[in-house]
Amino acid sequence: MKGVFACIASVLRTKVAEQMAYRSHFFLSVILLVAGDLLVPMITLLVYRSGASFPGWSLHEALLIQGVFGLAKGIAFPIFFGMVGSTLSLVREGTFDLLLLKPRPALFMTMLNGLDPEDFGRLLSGGVLFGYALSGLPAPKFNGWIQFAGLFLASLAVLCAFSLLLSGLLFRWVGSSRVYDIFDSVTSFGMYPGTIYAKSFQQLMTYVIPVGIIAFVPASALLGRAGWETAGAGAAAALFLIAGIVYWHRMLRGYTSAGG
Amino acid sequence: MIEVSHLTKTYMTHERGHTLREIAANLIRRPMKEVQAVKDISFTVEQGEMVAFLGPNGAGKSTTLKMLTGVLHPTSGEVRALGLTPWKQRSEYVRRIGAVFGQKSQLLWDIPPVDAFYMNKAIYGVPEREYAQTLDRLTTLLDVGDVMRKPTRQLSLGERMKCEFIMAMLHGPELVFLDEPTIGLDVIAKENIRDFIKDMNRQGVTFILTTHDLDDVELLAERVIVINHGEIVFDDGLNVLRGRLGEKKAVRLTTDLPLPDESMPGVTLLKRIHDSEAELEIDTDILPLKHFIRQFNETYGIRDMSIEPLPIEAVMKELYIGSPLS
Repeated sequence: MKGVFACIASVLRTKVAEQMAYRSHFFLSVILLVAGDLLVPMITLLVYRSGASFPGWSLHEALLIQGVFGLAKGIAFPIFFGMVGSTLSLVREGTFDLLLLKPRPALFMTMLNGLDPEDFGRLLSGGVLFGYALSGLPAPKFNGWIQFAGLFLASLAVLCAFSLLLSGLLFRWVGSSRVYDIFDSVTSFGMYPGTIYAKSFQQLMTYVIPVGIIAFVPASALLGRAGWETAGAGAAAALFLIAGIVYWHRMLRGYTSAGG
Repeated sequence: MIEVSHLTKTYMTHERGHTLREIAANLIRRPMKEVQAVKDISFTVEQGEMVAFLGPNGAGKSTTLKMLTGVLHPTSGEVRALGLTPWKQRSEYVRRIGAVFGQKSQLLWDIPPVDAFYMNKAIYGVPEREYAQTLDRLTTLLDVGDVMRKPTRQLSLGERMKCEFIMAMLHGPELVFLDEPTIGLDVIAKENIRDFIKDMNRQGVTFILTTHDLDDVELLAERVIVINHGEIVFDDGLNVLRGRLGEKKAVRLTTDLPLPDESMPGVTLLKRIHDSEAELEIDTDILPLKHFIRQFNETYGIRDMSIEPLPIEAVMKELYIGSPLS
């Protein structure tokens, strides 16, 4: 375990050094990421200012969901999601071989290679939004925080599983940057209160393609709107993650490298 | 050290057309084609050997090396290297091997090589003291003390390649795979790299070398394995390789009278430079050298002449396009 942390620390240090080689690019990217992530909350704000709303949800409650979404992305993107981009480029160039020549599990090496400090900027926008949303709400109870913490881990597990599924897909679907569009389209459903959708669609969003677990379910726990049925959501997230890991390894076996 | 037995790799590829009609048809149906990249090959490599693994483009040598390094799973066959099966015990195996690719860099473009070395230290779990000693020894040998602290993008190709070698050797591998290690380098840089490889080989490191630079082969390898169309067509010493095609010499000749255009028994015209100057290939099994000299001197009057063994390129060319020799 000590070796694993040493690897992460060393690679993270190297990645920061790489980013610092082009500081203006780094800062500009962070600003653009923050601005991009605040776009949906801005639209939500405009919707509420115009007098419309998500039925049964106040502005701050709706923004809390989007704040949790931002926080989850702020952690998952720099740590897990970079593997999608690195698989995309390395498999296309045939340089994924270099990762397989390292004495660590292939999945761990892919994740290390994809570590992206730039994406920690999302944590900033998510944190600001989360704080702003909470400031307009009654303070959550202790149990709510505990339940939120567990479901937030489930949220990270779902995002990690998405990264694995998209990365795995790229071993066969070589060079297709459309995987990002797939991710954005599917997960965008998770940025709004689940209750605005039909009951069957809510079930689909929680237990089959669990995008609802990314933000809606943890935020509901913090608002005291979720009961123990959320344990099922946690189990769904764990199963989704296991499916992602199995799928990734199965797709890796089909890796054919590039001509030499 | 390496035992390869009946190794085969088959993969499926799409057959794509190039006309607009074929491309449109491919959108609906893409016919698949089976490619046998490696066909039932077997060989062994002993510890401390320096083996050149050669073949024309698309012959199957890269696929074989990828299976030997554990990157690809074979369709069938066995490989035991360092007592392990590369693709089954990959992590344990790659900890003991190294690889240098002339066309794929392991360094990081925007930061100094020393940062990449440090990252490799953590990934391989090399203890601090051992890392410092090895780095010191390698940087002295390759003379890159200052170089490794500059961003990689500012280094010359030769400096970068030296750093690639350090990256591959820091964890003390017993077996190293080299893929075009001197590609694009100048004469001095090539010499430095070759000296380093020879030095490491003297210290017991086994090298498997893939290259199209036949000078690398002549100056480094003791043994040559040639693969063509997925099959091993030659596996023996370099001298045996030269001898397989008979006792041939390359002769450059300047004469008083114009040389003939047509070949004669034992003499093949390789290149005509002027009317009375040409490069010839002499098969001394058919026409002994003394007879060739006497005959040409009497007929055309020899003014100048140089005789050299047939360049290895000529041997390889015949091997690549000809039938299997062994």
